[in-house]
Amino acid sequence: MSVTFGGEYPTMLQDKEALYQERLKRYTTALHNGKPDRIPIRPFVAEFTAKYAGYTCQQITHDYRLAFAAARKCAQDFDWDAVVGNMVYVWTGLTQAIGLKYYGVPGIDVSADTGFQYREPSEEKAFMHADEYGALAEDPTGFLFNVWMPRVSTEVNPIGAPATYRNNLSFLKGGMAMLNYFSAFGTQNELLRRECGTVSAISGILKAPLDIIADKLRGYLGLANDLMKQPDKVLKACEALMPHLLHVARTSADPEKQVPIGFWMHRGCVPFISRKHFETIFWPTLRPIIEELWKSGHQTLFYAEGKWGHHLEAFAELPEHSMVYHIDQDDIVKVHRVLKEKFCLSGGIPNSLLAFGTPQEVRDRCKLVIDTIGREGGYIMDASAIVQNDAKIENIQAMTDFTHEYGVY
Amino acid sequence: MSEGQKPIPPGICFLWEEKALQLPEIVGDKELVKQIWEENESLAYTYIWHCLVSF
Repeated sequence: MSVTFGGEYPTMLQDKEALYQERLKRYTTALHNGKPDRIPIRPFVAEFTAKYAGYTCQQITHDYRLAFAAARKCAQDFDWDAVVGNMVYVWTGLTQAIGLKYYGVPGIDVSADTGFQYREPSEEKAFMHADEYGALAEDPTGFLFNVWMPRVSTEVNPIGAPATYRNNLSFLKGGMAMLNYFSAFGTQNELLRRECGTVSAISGILKAPLDIIADKLRGYLGLANDLMKQPDKVLKACEALMPHLLHVARTSADPEKQVPIGFWMHRGCVPFISRKHFETIFWPTLRPIIEELWKSGHQTLFYAEGKWGHHLEAFAELPEHSMVYHIDQDDIVKVHRVLKEKFCLSGGIPNSLLAFGTPQEVRDRCKLVIDTIGREGGYIMDASAIVQNDAKIENIQAMTDFTHEYGVY
Repeated sequence: MSEGQKPIPPGICFLWEEKALQLPEIVGDKELVKQIWEENESLAYTYIWHCLVSF
């Protein structure tokens, strides 16, 4: 689209670009454990954007254009430094086109005002069977196309079954929809920059091999059994997944290498798995990926959902600045003691407080977090976990305003 | 993948070496044909791996 601006607009655009550059510098300085002019604010707001912008969860989950608009409205109105273009992320129009079974879709499977859900099948109906580790390890991509996809999709038939109309449409519609959606992020990031002066907070995706097996293949219960009965096969499969997960992370990362890759940490920690399995499977098949990404100049954002306090010493062995550690329910004092010297930290404002607390309680918590882990720089203000539509708008405003005022260095 | 086949590396779903065997002799620029084949392969690879990792 070609747009001709009148005299007023170029000035506005220049102002937004100056604002963008100011925020980018603030954000990237903190990411590298430095001390910017003030603490950057980068809330990972998901269904909260719907609540604030006047949409239902169904609207922003099923129509990503509305999700993008809601994200921009929040970025603009709250004056945040960085946001994710669409933290709801799972566009259920796409998952429906493919026929993915494991989503609870707002307005279909759950109420229109409930966020989308992951539905893990029972152990008996797991998408990968206990005796298929060898097949997965031998040819991960082939396994996904030929075995996994027919099991997770209502539309796709297994190899040998008829190539039906619905089977063919699943791949065609799914592929075109994915291309459409991913391409739209480029425009969204550009609009965030030009309309709001806001930085796109992350680029790319990483998950740990062991988490992938639990999340999408064997299910958590199946994996837990396998870790006891056939840990060597689990390890081999994780090793086979490593180069592919590295490839996905690297090819989706920021080519400018300014913002980190989002690494979503699920059930690879004590007590979901034992310390032994963390030390012998989870970490040895994850650490080389992080180190390889860092060699290529890409930081990784450890989005440590839950409590990862048992493993902080392992993370501390990573190269300086190679990751950013996001605090959910960990002890902020311990995280600060173990990681702060080498890495930027973010988060630490409990979602329960944002949902059920008062603005004063939110301000008090923000003060405690800033005083404890943010005084020397290298801290980014954010909620503990992804912000859904239970958060009160006045509490998000309080977190924002307090940081603007008290977070100045 | 059947026995004796080479493993499929990240970024593609089907080896160019196998595809090339199915084509008549390429009298023009072989590298161009290979490059475009693999670029399109990467789209299919992106599709299945993002179904697994992102969705």
